[in-house]
Amino acid sequence: MISAVPKERAADAIRVVVSEDSAILRDGLVQLLSDRGFCITGAVSDAAALERSVEGEVPDVAVIDIRMPPTFTDEGLRAALELRKAHPDVGILLFSQYVETRYAADLLAGGAAGIGYLLKDRVADVSDFVEALVRVASGGTALDPEVVTQLMGASRRTGSLSTLSPREREVLSLMAEGRSNAAIAATLVISEGAVEKHVANIFSKLDLPASPADHRRVLAVLRYLEG
Amino acid sequence: VTEPQTDDGAARFHVQVGGRGRAVGVSEVPVSSDRTDQFRRIGRTIVREPFQRRTWSELAFFVISGLVAVIGIAFTAVTMVGGIFLVPILVGLLLIAASLRGTRGIGAWHRALAQHFLDERIPDPDPFRPRPGFIGWLRAALSDPAAWRALAYTFVKIPVLIFGVWFALTVWIQTAICLLYPFTGAGGGIRGIGPLRNGFVMGHITPGPPGPVEPAVVFLYGVVLLFIAPWAMRLVLWPDRLLMRLLLGPDTMTARVRTLEQSRAQTVDASAATLRRIERNLHDGTQAELVAIAMRLGQVKEKLADEAHLDLEQIRRLVEDAHQGAKEAIVELRDLARGIHPPALDTGLESALATLTARAAVPSELSVAIESRPTPAIEAIAYFCVAELLANVAQHARASRASVSCVQHGPWLRIVVRDDGRGGAVVNRLGSSSSGLAGLTDRVRAVDGHLSIASPPGGPTSITVDLPYQV
Repeated sequence: MISAVPKERAADAIRVVVSEDSAILRDGLVQLLSDRGFCITGAVSDAAALERSVEGEVPDVAVIDIRMPPTFTDEGLRAALELRKAHPDVGILLFSQYVETRYAADLLAGGAAGIGYLLKDRVADVSDFVEALVRVASGGTALDPEVVTQLMGASRRTGSLSTLSPREREVLSLMAEGRSNAAIAATLVISEGAVEKHVANIFSKLDLPASPADHRRVLAVLRYLEG
Repeated sequence: VTEPQTDDGAARFHVQVGGRGRAVGVSEVPVSSDRTDQFRRIGRTIVREPFQRRTWSELAFFVISGLVAVIGIAFTAVTMVGGIFLVPILVGLLLIAASLRGTRGIGAWHRALAQHFLDERIPDPDPFRPRPGFIGWLRAALSDPAAWRALAYTFVKIPVLIFGVWFALTVWIQTAICLLYPFTGAGGGIRGIGPLRNGFVMGHITPGPPGPVEPAVVFLYGVVLLFIAPWAMRLVLWPDRLLMRLLLGPDTMTARVRTLEQSRAQTVDASAATLRRIERNLHDGTQAELVAIAMRLGQVKEKLADEAHLDLEQIRRLVEDAHQGAKEAIVELRDLARGIHPPALDTGLESALATLTARAAVPSELSVAIESRPTPAIEAIAYFCVAELLANVAQHARASRASVSCVQHGPWLRIVVRDDGRGGAVVNRLGSSSSGLAGLTDRVRAVDGHLSIASPPGGPTSITVDLPYQV
């Protein structure tokens, strides 16, 4: 995908803390993010160290691995929920080898602003990853397509999604990933006007009041997905 | 006359036996001195027995469990007979089911009494597991094997109890009567207990002419009985213990099933743990490595796309890192695959072990003497044992040489790994240093094998693993 974020914008302001127990990945991430001009406030390997690092210097966004010592289950998720409670303004990008629908639901229960949940593979597409990180840091949302698919699958059982056309479902997925109309239009190779029409259809079919603000749109979609 | 009842008496008796023994021992060889010792021991036991705690515990058990048995018999008889009469209307079945539940409970009382008074630890039978619903409960209650066996015990206990009262309890009662005779006097009412007088040792006390002689004779008889009574009781309790073990514990089939269940659970846990370990290794090792490689190549790709500002030095470093990472990932994957199933095992244990010892960090010799191949599972366990033990030697033993021998002894495969290191190897389930040995022990035990360690501080260490040829 094309880099939508100019390097200059990503560079200066954004402060990041990286919490990842695998040394290889941690070093790689720090190197990559520094190279892109992010300011690394801390690189830690477990939840306790993350908390200390955040207390020392509050970052704009935290990249958190879900599985960390000591039990290698969901320490990162719990640390993220704690962090959200203590510093609601800090963006959280959960980073995982697997997608667990329950984790996503837990994380989104308090709202989707400044929340991201990506598979680790996504760092291979460096620009997309950086773009997602910037979005989360500035209060947006970045959900992995895999996460969205699973959440859709989980809510398909309720049946209301079946009223959507395949195209509308595609648009909804991209909306849930946190993309703007322009980005959706570029991805699907259609005009922005067409996207707006689809979005309006989705809202009317799902009985949701439309709103121009990007993240409120995502909130509405997610509220539906969780239900 | 009262001497044997006191400790003095006991001591004197003991000295007498000892004295005679010594006299024999002077002229003869140690064999007879052994026999004297034996006599002395028996004598001591007999003299002390009435004053031992267990003697009185047994008496208490007989009386209390007798009362419980009487209550149990009454309960079972009433509920069972009532139930059988009422079978035509369904209530009867319900009554029988309730009766069986109660009988099982009484069995539990007997077990508790045996544990408390006799130190007889009888394991609980399988717990009552009713299926859901009323019919399920009724069927389970009516077909509960433990309850039916407890019922059988209740009834077999009747003759044992009657025999015990006649054979043992009367002896105790007569002992008491006789010992108290001088104090209650010839006119004491105790002696009138009619049927009890006819215990197996007891004749009939006929009041003799008044005077000091008759009470003294009766008292002496009581003293003799005092030393007999504990043994009579023990004899009576012997079949009771047997019956309890047979009827109140788990039946042999259940016991066998239970041990199998245990070892199955161990095996299942072990294989789940193995899978988890493999997943962890993949997740933390290879997968992370691959993500890092992809990340670096992604960076390279973008840097190459930006043709205006090519920083070849930076790109070269990224590619080098990715290349290095790829090679490490390959090695990790190979090690992991070998950990799941060593390919060398396909050609047999001997060649697999040869590869292992050749690769070992400490110079190792191998000797193998097996006639046929064990089952694949055993081969794999044998292989991993040797691999783990050799790794331990390299890590902890500070040895200069090691040897591995693998010999077939009939249905057993015996593996011995020796080293000339500093010794002190222990199975440590908490510490990390030799937790490998704990894992090995579990693995070996899962197939009914044994692992034993001889590792004195200072060495040398020799660890023996016996594995069955067939699982």
